[in-house]
Amino acid sequence: MLRKPLAFLKKDFLMEISYRFSFVLQFASIFFSVVLFYFVGQLLGEAPSVQRSISEYGGDYFSFVLIGIAFQNFLSVGLGSFSNNIRAEQMIGTLEAMLVSPTRLPTIVLSSSQWSFAFTSIRVGAYLLLGGLFFGVSFGGARVLPALTALVLTVVAFSSLGIISASFIMIFKKGDPIAWAISTSSTLLGGVYYPITILPDWLQIASYAFPITYALRAIRLSLLQGQGFSQVGGDLGALVIFSAITLPISLLIFRFAVRRAKRDGSLAYY
Amino acid sequence: MENTVIQTNKLTKQFIKWRGLSSPRHPFEKKIFTAVRDVNIEVRRGEIFGLLGPNGAGKTTLTKMMCTLILPSSGSATIAGYDLVRQQEKVKASIALVSSEERSFYWRLTGRQNLEFFAALRGISREKAARRIPEVLDQVGITEAANRRFQEYSTGMKQRLGLARGLLADPEIFFMDEPTKGLDPLATKHIHDFIRENLAARGKTVFLATHHLAEAEHVCDRVGIMYDGEMKAHGQVDELVGDFTLADYFHDIISESTVEH
Repeated sequence: MLRKPLAFLKKDFLMEISYRFSFVLQFASIFFSVVLFYFVGQLLGEAPSVQRSISEYGGDYFSFVLIGIAFQNFLSVGLGSFSNNIRAEQMIGTLEAMLVSPTRLPTIVLSSSQWSFAFTSIRVGAYLLLGGLFFGVSFGGARVLPALTALVLTVVAFSSLGIISASFIMIFKKGDPIAWAISTSSTLLGGVYYPITILPDWLQIASYAFPITYALRAIRLSLLQGQGFSQVGGDLGALVIFSAITLPISLLIFRFAVRRAKRDGSLAYY
Repeated sequence: MENTVIQTNKLTKQFIKWRGLSSPRHPFEKKIFTAVRDVNIEVRRGEIFGLLGPNGAGKTTLTKMMCTLILPSSGSATIAGYDLVRQQEKVKASIALVSSEERSFYWRLTGRQNLEFFAALRGISREKAARRIPEVLDQVGITEAANRRFQEYSTGMKQRLGLARGLLADPEIFFMDEPTKGLDPLATKHIHDFIRENLAARGKTVFLATHHLAEAEHVCDRVGIMYDGEMKAHGQVDELVGDFTLADYFHDIISESTVEH
């Protein structure tokens, strides 16, 4: 059962490390990003207004933003990996060769995103490790299980949106407005770089329409404040409801898109 | 017929093109283009059937339809006894598509790594793939290049790796879309010999789309001539052409069809 997904994982890993310089560069960029926000944290961290606005998470801006930028990677990969990978296979010309094998398209789409998620997990681990080892972020009281639950639900929620985005790419090939709109709005409103409490009231209300708001809140509270399921249960529940609504809808839309592309004969076009 | 492995019944493909923003006054006006019209063919087990036609005749659309990559607009077909639309997974398990498209491999991976990946997609177990991959590489004669990156292969070697991929699961039917496109005469001969000696001789059915008359004449048991989406004639080469050459016969058919239009 896992033979096909594992073959995708191996293939994508081999492809990734075949570009060795790019592979190394990605980790270097994580280091510089962490350093950058460390100094921003030094600049802003002492301001009482900043400490007040993030007091819920312990009051340290660098810890707050480190979690934000690290887990925003999951938003990007969940939203973009399905459509990006489909488009990449269309462009390099391998999609048709896959589709003529007895492998269902949903298996191809889901499996081709595994490496993106695995690599993102490694990148997020690198962010947290750097922050913890060299920049004084304390994960001493972190509750890992609620954070991991939030992470899994976050991946499912973001992936549902990503599958809708892949459906769009399947039919229109390029210029997907869904991923762009959700990604931009999530970064703006979801509390990646600043807490949503500094937003005007009406934007705070709007921010609750995006799963990243609940995800980041639950992960920050679990990792930085050691809060358990009882405290982050509301956020986890919101993510469950969000996924329960969007996942079936996204699968229906995807099914429609595949059938439409097969009817148009444009599955492998780009 | 029991021995028939490919059978189409009035298989048709129409593409609909909306005028859209290119005609702002009539964006919802549609234009229908018939790529394949009412095609009836029967290909028997172990036969090499050549689909002959000029560029744009509908050969690739028909081939892709029979490989489940494009849904037919109307008509029906059975491939290896399975319904083309309702039993797509079984159809795909019974066929291999060998095209001239060298972009259908991962250029950064070696030939062997490519085959390992596609073997998994064909549902071949890891153990069986470990046995099968050296066999098929040997069959197509590129064992020594197995650990070289695909991007370092010559055009002929790329085509051979395409054949090797087709052989992995030992399917019943091979669809080949212009498999000798861009090859030199020697490499072309190797592919022709391979089709006859390694596929047809082992009872495999080959559906070969080509616009090379000589290829159809020398390799195929029967040919179908396609023009403007329609099957104009099909049968054994000798029976079709009589005292003429296939080239003369082909040009006659194309000329008649052009006059009709």
